[in-house]
Amino acid sequence: MKKNRLWNALVLVMLSSLLVALVLGAGGVGAQTPAPQAAGKVGDTLGVPGKIGKAIAEAPLGTGKGQIDPGAPRGWLGIPGAPQVNPVVTFLWAVWVGWIFATVGAFGGVMAGVGHVTVYGLGAYTAAFKETAPTLNRLLTDSIRVSNQFLALLSSLVSSVNYYRMRRLVWPLGLALGAGSILGAILVPWLSGGKVTLSQYQGWFGLFVLLVGIILLYETTPRGQARRKAASEAARAFEKAIGEKGAETAQGVKVTRWNPSRVHFTFCGVEFSFNPLWPVLGGFVIAAISSFIGAGGGFLYVPFLTSIVGLPMFIVAGTSALTVFISMVSSITAYIKIAGAGIDWLLVGTQLVGVFVGSLIGPRTQKYIPDVWLKRLFVLLAFYVGLGYFSKGFFGRAWVPM
Amino acid sequence: MESEIVFLALDRFLVVLYGFTGHPVSDYFLGTFILALAAVLLGELTVALAFQANRKHIEALNDRLNSLQRLSLAALEAGERERYRALNKEANDAFGKVFFNAAALSAAYLWPVPFALGWMQLRFADVHIPLPFTPLAANYLVVFLLFYVPARLLFAAVRPKLPYFGRIQRVLASYRSTAGAGGEAAQQRGKVG
Repeated sequence: MKKNRLWNALVLVMLSSLLVALVLGAGGVGAQTPAPQAAGKVGDTLGVPGKIGKAIAEAPLGTGKGQIDPGAPRGWLGIPGAPQVNPVVTFLWAVWVGWIFATVGAFGGVMAGVGHVTVYGLGAYTAAFKETAPTLNRLLTDSIRVSNQFLALLSSLVSSVNYYRMRRLVWPLGLALGAGSILGAILVPWLSGGKVTLSQYQGWFGLFVLLVGIILLYETTPRGQARRKAASEAARAFEKAIGEKGAETAQGVKVTRWNPSRVHFTFCGVEFSFNPLWPVLGGFVIAAISSFIGAGGGFLYVPFLTSIVGLPMFIVAGTSALTVFISMVSSITAYIKIAGAGIDWLLVGTQLVGVFVGSLIGPRTQKYIPDVWLKRLFVLLAFYVGLGYFSKGFFGRAWVPM
Repeated sequence: MESEIVFLALDRFLVVLYGFTGHPVSDYFLGTFILALAAVLLGELTVALAFQANRKHIEALNDRLNSLQRLSLAALEAGERERYRALNKEANDAFGKVFFNAAALSAAYLWPVPFALGWMQLRFADVHIPLPFTPLAANYLVVFLLFYVPARLLFAAVRPKLPYFGRIQRVLASYRSTAGAGGEAAQQRGKVG
């Protein structure tokens, strides 16, 4: 209770300080003068903010591919001549993504990425600048990566708040994972922001999708099915044995003692402990991978904490949601601030509405398709999409029509 | 440009929020706070509707996860490590479904925010509030987020007294108290709903 009050007071003080700073700043207190900016080939940012505007100024002027025509109607990110992302297409694709989120899970994030790169035409537009304006090509690639991460950011924010209220966050675990993930999520944009071309991104994204496909395929094989069946049977048998008198879980988590090499906490009267170095390392590696690919990483944190660190799912769920949130805030801020990636708010908003509608439809259609067939469908899709991006990105030509 | 058409259509309604005091800075702050509050209200209303529409599905997913978590902890207490591992793995799969379903539902909470930010980008992209004694300046995004947090806190404080939202909140609170303790909270959910 005392800790809660302290936490609330801290948040209130921080928020009030920021609001006071805003009011003082608006009144001209402590004003600083900005540095002047340079121009390039197009000769002007054409009103596009940030580093993308500067890269446009450096891009070749013209009406061809890989050129900027200042007179053309503005499209994605307000760039003249960029694809006009059709809100109806965006909405329908997002409904499909939301449907997958509600029925299969993680594969929805992959399909969101496919939407940005292929369906909305952003990949083809970005690729056209590979030779003519490499900086613009890389910055637009970063913008696509950021768009992919927005859904993960928003969902982890809502989940973290809910789990915090349920007293299901282990703060030393969250801090250790968070420290590692902040490092990974800032380091990757810092090292790769503005340096990764669309082809390279497509190649790695394809490889990632292929790996997801292999995991999904394993789950549909007789061996994968048998493992699940055995676990389900164990669950059922145990449930019968203990009836409803299971563990009392309403007590929450209590950290009993900690030092730099070991953290001990109790949960439902059972003591757990872990070495904080593992979550720091795991957080770093997972955040670095997710930041590069443009994914949330929640599907990696959970198996890492349950299988490698050996913690119960009950606690892992909330802590991993908080870590995804921390790493997504770090990664998105780093891409926007360090790499200068832009955001198309209409695209993000339309996608959220579509995902929401898809999530309403999902449960209503799920009962007509068996789980295993749904997985098989997504195995096919994962191999098709993964192979397509992998070959296009690393070998310059897609091995499957796309 | 599609974005401009959409946000210009919103402009004639939203700009009204920015003219209450006649003082530009006060209007900017007050208008943004009202805009943030409207975004909170709209999001909460959508999620309440979504929750009612998908209640059975959400309950089934949560019950399965809670039951597996409860069982895995009971196995741990009983000293059955192997069974604990098997159940923890099962709970892991169940969590995947709950998490991504929540991901989709969280879109309902937050969808008005990007629309508000898109309109603010069109109107206030050039407005930068300098932060005292630093070379930094707060753009429309920072200002909106700084007002969105108090708007959300204000809504959370008054929600229990609001007729429709208060009822939904009580149902959601029963999920939190469920957190593995099964039957009792589920019965309560039945009463409230």
